Amino acid sequence: MSSVFYLLRKSLKNLIKGAAKKPLVLIGYIFILVFIVFIIVASFMPSGMVRNGNPQLFKSIMILVFTVLYYTSLKLGIDKGSTFFRMSDVNLLFTAPIKPNHVLLYGFIKQIGGTFFMMFLAMCQIPNLRNNFKMEAHGVGVILLAVVAYTLAYPLLGMVIYSWSSKEKSRKKLLKRIFDIGAVVVALLFLLSVVQTRDFVSAMDRVFNHPVARYFPVIGWTGSIGAAAVGPLTTEFYVGAIGMLLLILGSAITLYRANLDFYEDVLEGVEFVEAAYKAKREGRNMTFNLKVKENVKQGLKGEGARAIFSKNLLELRKTSLFLFLDRMSLITIIASLVFRFVMPDEIGEMGLFVVLCFSVYLLMLFQIQGRLVNEMEKPYIFLIPASPFQKLFYVTLSEHLKNLADGCVLFISAGILFKGDVATVLACIFSYTSFGAVFVYNDVLNRRLFGWVHSKNMLVFIKIIASLLLLVPGIVAGVFVYAMTELQLLLILTMGGWSFILALTFFMFSAGILNNLESAG
Amino acid sequence: MLKVKNLSKKYEKVLAVNKASFEVNAGEIGVLLGPNGAGKSTTIKSIAGLLRFEGKIEIAGKENKSIEAKKAFGYIPETPALYESLTVWEHLEFVARAYGLKDWEDQANALLTRFDMDDKKKKVGKELSKGMQQKVSICCGLITDPKMIMFDEPMIGLDPKAIKELKEIFVELKNRGCAVLISTHIIDSIDEVWDKVLIMNKGEIVYNRTRDEMTASGESLEKIFFSVTEPEKEEESA
Repeated sequence: MSSVFYLLRKSLKNLIKGAAKKPLVLIGYIFILVFIVFIIVASFMPSGMVRNGNPQLFKSIMILVFTVLYYTSLKLGIDKGSTFFRMSDVNLLFTAPIKPNHVLLYGFIKQIGGTFFMMFLAMCQIPNLRNNFKMEAHGVGVILLAVVAYTLAYPLLGMVIYSWSSKEKSRKKLLKRIFDIGAVVVALLFLLSVVQTRDFVSAMDRVFNHPVARYFPVIGWTGSIGAAAVGPLTTEFYVGAIGMLLLILGSAITLYRANLDFYEDVLEGVEFVEAAYKAKREGRNMTFNLKVKENVKQGLKGEGARAIFSKNLLELRKTSLFLFLDRMSLITIIASLVFRFVMPDEIGEMGLFVVLCFSVYLLMLFQIQGRLVNEMEKPYIFLIPASPFQKLFYVTLSEHLKNLADGCVLFISAGILFKGDVATVLACIFSYTSFGAVFVYNDVLNRRLFGWVHSKNMLVFIKIIASLLLLVPGIVAGVFVYAMTELQLLLILTMGGWSFILALTFFMFSAGILNNLESAG
Repeated sequence: MLKVKNLSKKYEKVLAVNKASFEVNAGEIGVLLGPNGAGKSTTIKSIAGLLRFEGKIEIAGKENKSIEAKKAFGYIPETPALYESLTVWEHLEFVARAYGLKDWEDQANALLTRFDMDDKKKKVGKELSKGMQQKVSICCGLITDPKMIMFDEPMIGLDPKAIKELKEIFVELKNRGCAVLISTHIIDSIDEVWDKVLIMNKGEIVYNRTRDEMTASGESLEKIFFSVTEPEKEEESA
């Protein structure tokens, strides 16, 4: 065990030493620390805000959040086996004369360290929750306890599930089916409740705050721990806490004692984790897990730069769910519509504008690492004998078409649901596509201007700030026009028009990025 | 030293290795050749105890997944992966601790000097190029003074001097009685050092001869390789 503890000790020590050597990283860590202290202090301070959020809604949200988290992480675990090991562990630790159960303990200790990041993310949400719900003194503590319980439970459960399901394909199929049927049942129950109550919030309460949901193993237990933030520590909290404790200990002991041959189980998961780390280092989105359709019969057309467009369309067809619609499209569309539902009725006729704002926000997050990054990793784009303008136009054209298609689905649905007029729907589609174009070309331009910034995270930060700052004039102009006319249509068109001009300008300045690899940053 | 008997490994419906049997004796350099996807890496990973398999694998007379067997073998993976925040020296210290080595520092220094890494001792894993990572990986495999060692595509990413050093190390290991198993698909890279050749194709060992046996047949390794891995094409060209 001494070698394992040596590894943990040295890794932590060098991490701290490494941070001290890099002022930017150190400032980042100090910022996070100050933020955490601030949140903790602020959570105990009295506030003049009126918090009238229904505690039952808070409980429903908690269980809904953990339902989504467990569903996505454990479903991935069926295929890959959620893992806390890295390839260096496989090469050096797994082959060393160390008992596998000691290796497992090492991984578990590492995972406990990893919970800090999840806790930080959770803390970011606390001010928002405090503004909307009346939180008890123990509120912050129990939310963090729920996050810790989730972060410890899902990799252990993932490994237990994987070690059972990896032995036979039929088991994988069975588990996937159970997960999917479960998801469909929950979705149907929710839809049924929406139809019966005609109220989104009441429907959430009926489904996710039902006693069965609150006591449902794992999901309900974790949710009930967090739900205690807005009320006393009830039986549900204690059942959840004890249940999760027993589950975590039970899973760890099961793996520690019974499955001494788990190396193969984590091997594929490790490859997945390494691919995710590589993608993060290179500043691009993780595409490792994308399912590629094999039966797409679409040939390549066009010559020169047009061939890139044709290739991108083919790639989209192979990885999308239907035409241009992929998982990100669905998330954007559903989340934006749901967002409008949970907003108060006072927003009235501004409903489509609210949907546009929220969907653009999501679009910015999703497009912050555009398709072009993947393209520039390979030499072909630089070698194709065409002008940089042509190449940039065609390489990004598929993105614009995708945004247009997503915009059409989203705003036609929103128009029907929220009774919008045709002109406003069209203006929203135009604005959504223009905003998308700004994010696409802002990504390119920032790479050209700030390609020298070594930290990819810092580059992402710069891109977000730049996007927001550059959109401000359009927003100000839009608000001004709205103040003068009180027409939602003109507000949307002004913002969209500004984005369109901005996107065109960015395009003109960023084409040079495709001159050579060096200018690509 | 290394005994593999009826090794089979199935990934769902794909039979990656099918009843492979071979031995590599002490003081012998065995080379595992085969085209891409032949099952070489699966075989090596099975021997290294990273995969579940059917059949029997013994290292120094012990079952390959036992602690005793692990103490006896070294493994240099195809893709080096180091701990990002551990220095080169700390990697070696970690391995020394894990294998319970005493007085390993001189050996560590000698290895680092040999691979021109003595000035990189304080560099952490993530600061090293792929070639340097491969060198550290080799040093980690060698420092335990193993009785049996496996190299999976060891030349990839190395500079010419490191390749030369590595070939000399193969011979030194052999001379001190270590069993060496090298997996590669580049025949030329190991042509002058091997004692036993094992050629895999479609998961099976299709050729298993010592250098003397092959020399007696009068055919080159390259010709034999193509005749056993692509028999149809060989027949057509004949």
